[in-house]
Amino acid sequence: MSSSPQEQNREQKEEQKEEQKEDVKEEEVKKDMKPEDNQNQNEERKAEKWEENKKEEPKESWKDCIYNPRTGEFMGRTASSWGLILLFYLVFYGFLAGMFCLTMWVMLQTLDDNVPRYQDRVANPGLVIRPHAAEISFNRSDPTNYNQYIQNLHNLLQRYNDSIQERNDLCMVGEYTEQDNEPIKKVCQFKRSMLRQCSGLRDSSFGFAEGKPCIIIKMNRVIGLKPQGDPYINCTAKGDSPLRMQYYPSEARLDKMFFPYYGNKAHADYVQPLVAVQLLLSREDLNVEQTVECKLEGTNLRNDDDRDKFMGRVVFRVKVSE
Amino acid sequence: MGADRSPKKKKGGTKDMDDLKKEVPITEHKMSIEEVCRKFNTDIVQGLTNAKAAEYLIRDGPNALTPPPTTPEWVKFCRQLFGGFSILLWTGAILCFLAYAIQAATEDEPAGDNLYLGIVLTAVVVITGCFSYFQEAKSSKIMESFKNMVPQQALVIREGEKVTINAEEVVGGDLIEVKGGDRIPADIRVVSAHGCKVDNSSLTGESEPQSRSPDCTHDNPLETRNVAFFSTNCVEGTARGIVICTGDRTVMGRIATLTSGLETGKTPIAKEIEHFIHIITGVAVFLGVTFFILAIILGYSWLEAVIFLIGIIVANVPEGLLATVTVCLTLTAKRMAKKNCLVKNLEAVETLGSTSTICSDKTGTLTQNRMTVAHMWFDNQIHEADTTEDQSGASFDKSSVTWLSLARVAGLCNRAQFKAGQDSLPILKRDVAGDASESALLKCIELSCGSVRAMRDRNKKVAEIPFNSTNKYQLSVHETEDPNDNRYLLVMKGAPERILDRCTTILVQGKEQPMDEELKEAFQNAYMELGGLGERVLGFCHVLLPEDQYPKGFAFDTEDVNFQTDNLCFVGLMSMIDPPRAAVPDAVIMVTGDHPITAKAIAKGVGIISEGNETVEDIAARLNIPVSQVNPRDAKACVVHGTDLKDLSQDQMDDILRNHTEIVFARTSPQQKLIIVEGCQRLGAIVAVTGDGVNDSPALKKADIGVAMGISGSDVSKQAADMILLDDNFASIVTGVEEGRLIFDNLKKSIAYTLTSNIPEITPFLFFIIVNIPLPLGTITILCIDLGTDMVPAISLAYETAESDIMKRQPRNPARDKLVNERLISIAYGQIGMIQALGGFFAYFVILAENGFLPSRLVGIRLNWDDRSTNDLEDSYGQQWTYEQRKIVEFTCHTAFFVSIVVVQWADVIICKTRRNSVFQQGMRNKILIFGLFEETALAAFLSYCPGMDVALRMYPLKPSWWFCAFPYSFLIFVYDEIRKLLLRRNPGGWVERETYY
Repeated sequence: MSSSPQEQNREQKEEQKEEQKEDVKEEEVKKDMKPEDNQNQNEERKAEKWEENKKEEPKESWKDCIYNPRTGEFMGRTASSWGLILLFYLVFYGFLAGMFCLTMWVMLQTLDDNVPRYQDRVANPGLVIRPHAAEISFNRSDPTNYNQYIQNLHNLLQRYNDSIQERNDLCMVGEYTEQDNEPIKKVCQFKRSMLRQCSGLRDSSFGFAEGKPCIIIKMNRVIGLKPQGDPYINCTAKGDSPLRMQYYPSEARLDKMFFPYYGNKAHADYVQPLVAVQLLLSREDLNVEQTVECKLEGTNLRNDDDRDKFMGRVVFRVKVSE
Repeated sequence: MGADRSPKKKKGGTKDMDDLKKEVPITEHKMSIEEVCRKFNTDIVQGLTNAKAAEYLIRDGPNALTPPPTTPEWVKFCRQLFGGFSILLWTGAILCFLAYAIQAATEDEPAGDNLYLGIVLTAVVVITGCFSYFQEAKSSKIMESFKNMVPQQALVIREGEKVTINAEEVVGGDLIEVKGGDRIPADIRVVSAHGCKVDNSSLTGESEPQSRSPDCTHDNPLETRNVAFFSTNCVEGTARGIVICTGDRTVMGRIATLTSGLETGKTPIAKEIEHFIHIITGVAVFLGVTFFILAIILGYSWLEAVIFLIGIIVANVPEGLLATVTVCLTLTAKRMAKKNCLVKNLEAVETLGSTSTICSDKTGTLTQNRMTVAHMWFDNQIHEADTTEDQSGASFDKSSVTWLSLARVAGLCNRAQFKAGQDSLPILKRDVAGDASESALLKCIELSCGSVRAMRDRNKKVAEIPFNSTNKYQLSVHETEDPNDNRYLLVMKGAPERILDRCTTILVQGKEQPMDEELKEAFQNAYMELGGLGERVLGFCHVLLPEDQYPKGFAFDTEDVNFQTDNLCFVGLMSMIDPPRAAVPDAVIMVTGDHPITAKAIAKGVGIISEGNETVEDIAARLNIPVSQVNPRDAKACVVHGTDLKDLSQDQMDDILRNHTEIVFARTSPQQKLIIVEGCQRLGAIVAVTGDGVNDSPALKKADIGVAMGISGSDVSKQAADMILLDDNFASIVTGVEEGRLIFDNLKKSIAYTLTSNIPEITPFLFFIIVNIPLPLGTITILCIDLGTDMVPAISLAYETAESDIMKRQPRNPARDKLVNERLISIAYGQIGMIQALGGFFAYFVILAENGFLPSRLVGIRLNWDDRSTNDLEDSYGQQWTYEQRKIVEFTCHTAFFVSIVVVQWADVIICKTRRNSVFQQGMRNKILIFGLFEETALAAFLSYCPGMDVALRMYPLKPSWWFCAFPYSFLIFVYDEIRKLLLRRNPGGWVERETYY
């Protein structure tokens, strides 16, 4: 590092002075060595004060956080700032909502009113039982015990009352009722009385009081579904002893005339065919839990899916006690 | 932060610690040799007896520094496992398990989601913890390789015989001998010396070797001549001395112990991550509690509401971010390691970038290390050098004979040359082999006079005396250009006053004139003026040797100089500067062991004390008033003597640091360096300390980032530092600053990107609770996003190049410029995230509607939908669905929502590339990012279409059209953000910037 000679001169002088000073200071240093503890304490005290100051500050700023009277800031923003940001978000979200509605509207426009675009997930309809319960357990001598079940069945069969069904058309047995092009779709008749003992007409307890309960099995509605073959329901008890069962209508057939279904708009009064199965429990079957599996058979529709235990089949348990 | 730490440390410090902070308690230097001998029961001639030595060795232990207590490996591992960000994930995992426990206790068939989520969160933390642990273990392995490379030997005299023993076996009282080149094995009291000089630089920072002699010259043991210190080097001569301290009791040992006892604070990035966690936790708890209350109002049971609360809080945890941040930091650390910057602590990668104060005694750190010629003086005038490539800025007559002579001298008397194969590069950018000032001259001459190599070819070099520090000049003898002229040309350059002394004439307007007083005066003025600019000045002279004395073929002997080196003709001066680095934090504090005068001169030289800034003393001298009358506020620069530091109170210290921008601390002891660092930290600065000596190590440890030298640095300093420059090249620090700033920017981008997808991940759950729709996005798919598709794009943002010249920026203000601030949250959560959520919901509604469930049917359907026993749920068309059938549709929706998030994240990663510039300005050159885009898409397609995924992850193949649902939203994100950035650039400081620039 070069510096001018004059500077160097000056520096030399200063250096000499500096050295003298240093000597003096060095002595001081030595004296200082012991009092340093003192000094440390001083520093500590100062530091404590500092900390106290700091502690006081946040209190102020904590209140300031909510409302700062000096700047008129509320939660860190002035009124106009709040106004602007809120206005921005209002407009922004308004726009987003508009855009979302627009895309939704466009999407809905592309949909058909009567048939969903994709039906691949319901290609194989499910089976369900009424009364709605996985385990039907009741005391046959206590009506309050099974009242909810028979109420459930009565509700289901409301739409199948003969008085209502009489208004519907009689259709060709064993043939699909195809009416793709007709503007008004006719509905095929399914009278409640066809279920006989299980119609709830003669025996309003659906056999529950006798300990021979009726279970109604229905197949899920699927638009346009035309089961091939001759679909019928077959129930088997999963116990050791074979269980006697009586099907209504006989042979437990789901007649082809009830297919296809045209959707709830075009086919508002449509009723799906039902099959009732009466479990003719004997004395020794009482108080024993019976597991019954009903399957849809005689068609191309699947009833053996690993995952979906209700596709084309249904399992339920019945336990009748005395 | 610093304020409350330092007092705590002092309070908490044990008695030992305070003791260590005191100055050295050595008294032996004031005793006579006989007293010392008596004290150690030793003999000045015979040395210790072997028996005594063995006894002392048992009493005092080996003469070696106790290695700093190494943290056990499992503690290090746990620190990785439970530190910083991991806490957030652990909390999330525990909450998940808690929620699962509640569900398991109350429900028959609890959904496994919370359990899986908890397990995955745990796995993520553990895996990332292991990753960073191994990463750091790798660096520490390199560290270990530094240790104990060569076992030290010492020559001791015991029972009158000289024996060479391991330095560890040296004991107090041993008589030892050292010679030039030896490392001093312990603190010794010199009893006899022959021209002995020691290099104390690693201890005191003084660079000049100091002589040692048996006499006590100073009360201070560090200053006195008769003590030589452990681990310093004997440069020349020989000495014999009695060992007075060994091992940890040596001066060096005390410093090392002080260092290892210091606690260090959190790294800035750790603080930022903590701040980030606070924000995230705040948002999570706010959302959770809000929806908890809503759920209660909506009539959910307490337990359900608690599970929702936990679910929402956990959904806010960005699972992938921990891994992303770790990988980003690792990548940067690797990049720096390639440039010979070894980072010991991953988090320290960023610290250099936010450093606001550098404490350094190495001036190379602070300048660009790119010397350029700034001025020249010839023809009695100062000319500004033209540094433009096309020589458009010429300020003087280039045809002047004096200039040509000066250029010839500068070009010939110069050993620097351009490295080969750079002809296509602009001259100023070419690499030069040679020292800094010669390179500067070479470039200057090449620029103004054309090829220097051609000039050298025309004037063949005959002899040369390279520069050395004793004669302070460099000369060479050349043949002349004129083939008929058989005279030799002698050219010389060097320190101006030395050159002037050798000159009797001076070249003015091309004519040689005798050097008279007037011209000498002019020379002095020019010299002073250029020197005053802080420039390095060189003088040039030449002479044509008379042919009669030096005929052609004369054998010039450079060893025993047999030719004239005086009576030369002075040509001119050239001055060079090493421009300070633009990016160097404006607060540079020079901390050195040198004398104040030297320190100040150097500081001025490299621009630490810049031109025009005066110290109090300068002002006093200029105004001719006593120092006490000067208002200290007027002086921006200040030079503080180390010993004055002791007398300063904390307030005074703060005052100095606050009110002066240019500070030089001279003659500082290790303890004082520590005080300086603490002072700066107290004022909120992020302090970097560079150093290589043991004396620097306490400061290195205390600093936010300590940078040590890999080659010249002492072991202790390397242990204390966070970063090690493996090649000792200070230019690497600049790399560190650059990489640190870049990673900070890019981490912001990564976090913005990752956080954005949190909104489309949380909102489905919220709507699930509030409007009772089937769940649009499940836990598994959320994890697929966070830990799958989002990872590579988020990491790829770490490869993003800087948007603008980050080195021209001010270092960030840790109080204001946060890694994650409310604006980032506002953008990510409030704006982009919302658009993304809409995109996802749109896909969800499309799929359900196309399968028969119109939006109007969905609201309120949740209870029936999720009821396993309802197997005839009616859709909008009157069809009936079994539980499993509709669940397949629901999971298809999850998949579509997931794919939609991937689609909108395409746009998000592109907009996150830049914070201010348009993507069109920035370009798409980030290959990793492009790879990331393809990778996430491929992964999404794989997850959706791979056979078996329906069983494994419950993800189902999508119809091709469903991929396009989110496209309009993706496009909207891009357009929206481009417009936002456009407004940002158009109105600097405007509303958009204040509200949205993160």
